[in-house]
Amino acid sequence: MHSPTTSGPLPRDIQTVVVGGGILGLCVAGFLAEEGREVAIIDAGRPEGTTTNAGSLHVQMQSRFMRMHPDQVPALESGLHLYPKAVEFWFELQRHLDADFGLKASGGLMVAESREQLDFLAKKAERERSLGLDSKILDRDELDQIAPYLGPAVVGAELCADEGRLDALKANTALRRWVRRVGVMVTGETSVDRVSRDGGRFKLDTSRGTVRAATLVIAAGPGSLTLAEPFGLTLPVESEPLHMNITEPTDLFIGHLVQHADRMITVKQLSSGHVVIGGGWPADLSPSEDYAAVRLSSIIGNTSLAQHIVPAIGRLRIIRTWAGINTPTGGPGILGPIHGAPNAFLAIPGEAGYTLGPLSARLVADTVLGRRPTEDLAPFSPSRFR
Amino acid sequence: MKIEFEGEALEACPGESLAATLTAHGIRSFRTTERGAERGVFCGMGVCQDCLVEVDGKPNQRACTVKVDRPMKVRREGSGRAPAASGPAAGRPPITIEEIPVERPQVLVVGAGPGGLAAAYAARLAGAEVLVLDEGSAPGGQYFKQCSAAGVAPPDAQHQEGRRLIDDVLGSGVTVRSNASVWGAFRPLEFAATKPGGSFLVQPEQAIIATGAFDRGWPVPGWTLPGVMTTGAAQTLWRTARRLPGKRVLIAGNGPLNLQLAVELVAGGADVVAVVEAAPAMGVRRVREIAAMLANAPRLVADGVRYLSTCRRAGVRLINGSVLTSVVPHSGGLRATIAGRETASFDVDVVCLGYGFHPSNELLRALGCEHAFDPEQRRLVTVRDTRGKTSVDGVWALGDCTTLGGARVGQAEGTLAGFAAARALGCALSAEAVRLEAQAAADAARHRRFQRALWRMYRMDESLRVRPTGDTVMCRCEEVTYGQVEAALAEGATSPSEIKQETRLGMGRCQARYCGPALETFLAEQTGRSQDETSGFAPRVPVKPVSVGDLSNPAGA
Repeated sequence: MHSPTTSGPLPRDIQTVVVGGGILGLCVAGFLAEEGREVAIIDAGRPEGTTTNAGSLHVQMQSRFMRMHPDQVPALESGLHLYPKAVEFWFELQRHLDADFGLKASGGLMVAESREQLDFLAKKAERERSLGLDSKILDRDELDQIAPYLGPAVVGAELCADEGRLDALKANTALRRWVRRVGVMVTGETSVDRVSRDGGRFKLDTSRGTVRAATLVIAAGPGSLTLAEPFGLTLPVESEPLHMNITEPTDLFIGHLVQHADRMITVKQLSSGHVVIGGGWPADLSPSEDYAAVRLSSIIGNTSLAQHIVPAIGRLRIIRTWAGINTPTGGPGILGPIHGAPNAFLAIPGEAGYTLGPLSARLVADTVLGRRPTEDLAPFSPSRFR
Repeated sequence: MKIEFEGEALEACPGESLAATLTAHGIRSFRTTERGAERGVFCGMGVCQDCLVEVDGKPNQRACTVKVDRPMKVRREGSGRAPAASGPAAGRPPITIEEIPVERPQVLVVGAGPGGLAAAYAARLAGAEVLVLDEGSAPGGQYFKQCSAAGVAPPDAQHQEGRRLIDDVLGSGVTVRSNASVWGAFRPLEFAATKPGGSFLVQPEQAIIATGAFDRGWPVPGWTLPGVMTTGAAQTLWRTARRLPGKRVLIAGNGPLNLQLAVELVAGGADVVAVVEAAPAMGVRRVREIAAMLANAPRLVADGVRYLSTCRRAGVRLINGSVLTSVVPHSGGLRATIAGRETASFDVDVVCLGYGFHPSNELLRALGCEHAFDPEQRRLVTVRDTRGKTSVDGVWALGDCTTLGGARVGQAEGTLAGFAAARALGCALSAEAVRLEAQAAADAARHRRFQRALWRMYRMDESLRVRPTGDTVMCRCEEVTYGQVEAALAEGATSPSEIKQETRLGMGRCQARYCGPALETFLAEQTGRSQDETSGFAPRVPVKPVSVGDLSNPAGA
């Protein structure tokens, strides 16, 4: 989609510049502007949408990630306590903005198709409970009580009570309105090519000219890698293009965020009745690597798996597919001040970035404002990549 | 044959569309939207997704494309009942793309209208192996659509001309597969499709895209009401099933197809109260255009003269220089109001809208074929050479999906593209083929000259464009009004993508086919920004909604 006019005037000199207008950048900018800071967002693409969020509220550890990166599980567990708080914070933000994000935390089910998978889930649930999560195992009879829409192949599931979904479209729209209302300048289609120190300020060379700022927040997802280099950081961030599908709307019949113990999938039904099917199937990066394109094999494989787990989906039609870019960090997020570079901050949420977005942004905004954040940010410190 | 609609038994004619059956029984509202609005047949060709009904428990079936071939139980589509989990398709084992059968014809033609059929015939004549995929239940496309209902009136001249072309193609050894919806195109050259048996892929050496066009919307208050349909939809009811869209009909639009429809409906016994044409009356000032048309296609001019005299004889009022401005429900029917040179209201059953066409270029754009923007027609034009070669290797395009030229131009361009694609495969052309190719080049040029003169004559006064009110629907699927778009602009949204996010405009089943162009025009007016080839919404797959059940089921041989 082309968006020729999201680019407002580029500020020349500003108190705080946030690079990246995704969920992190929007929220950091909004929180800072609410405290009277003069803030501008610069986004290379279209704010709140270049990398497209799908709206899952993840709390339990995603089996996809555990399978792909078993070595990173301990690191991931160190940040797990943030997930239920992050979901709680979404509700708080919705109240704060007096908006409707289509939030629903009616629980997430990770389904198993075999004894072996169910045993894996049982161990996972036990670990998660010890870390403070509300997780339990349900057998098929119990599932029939709460999730009659599941197919006959499902033998049981892990239920994580705090999971759910939101309508990313509604949330992003409300957030965009909010940041505009509190006076954030939003400039799209402007790439930041280089960041350097210029006296006591930061100098940003952009595709549309130079911007100077006293405070710099890097919230550019995979683009943060090059932006953080001048500060001596080598971030393990990656571009992971992911594929998504959405069906036509129907009556609400899928009450949970549905995942699978051994396969890549998320299924959820938005408040609008559309069923969103995703969960980590690959998309392709364009040659310029600035946008992602859908992949035929993912459309087939992903939707076919969805109708296997939730058979009624077979009756629905896919009306749209899209691709977004996930930013894995090899563990928990990268949040907080860059040591040795006063007034420079990083804000990358890590796995399940949309779920963690607003809370992560609040924590970073607090450090920018010189306050003590409500969570210990030591496990998330950028310094670990120096 | 009898079908059941909401428990009521209805007599149907085997082979006709479900939309034709329901219309014949005076049923115009097929479903209720999320916001409680009524909808029925609009495009009549499977594009708008407004005529959705539930057939034998299967939700969201397009009544205009479902053929009545068995007794069926039909229900109105509510605001979306949850789909039933049972049925033979329930919970198939998951598949991967490797299980989907792949066909590798030398030439794939998408679309079996006049252009696609001509292309297939030419490519086959030159020796290529050709597969044609078409979404319709029978070849012919819109212009050569055949009568599908059993035992109705004998075919007319246009049916017969189409029949000859179809028979030529079938007799030449081309494989034509109907009911095959190509829902996606992927680089470098792969097509994803479904047929009733399931999913299949096509990886041709050469692809010829002949997907035609669809009727443009005319967003005025009431344009979504049941009984308001495109001229193409009304013509399809008549030409495929000899069903009238209603008894009293108003036709409003721009172009000669509206006159042809009036003549056909009059012959069927309808009371066509008026044909409201946006272009000014054709007087002596038009002598140059008329001369050019006569020189290039005298038969088509003769058809036009015949249409006019038939209308006059039947008492159909011909009103020029005026447009439809609103439709409201009125005592069981509709009250349509026009303005311009003449202001009037008509009480009718049906209003037909024929305000031109929009190219179905989704597959071409998905493949990355270069397009240019035509500011006068406010639409994209596929960049290609005189033989239909696009900017993407192995992709040829012709006819109305590239730029509007009508069936004759499409047919001639089809012949050229078919031969050119065969040449690209290394086929040698016989002397006869070379002669046909030269003939097609001359025909294409001649019919383009005719079209240019025709559209100069039919050029409408731009000041007649209706300024929609705030409560006029812009996006039919998501029920987004002009007022909501204005509010989004006031909130600071500026680009189509921001308006999409704010309002959900363009995110529905039809893939922004109607609201996309309407939004572009509106934004150009509101912001003074000019449109170009990068304006508007990028095409997304699937280009038509595709059922997950079909996707998950490898098609049998």
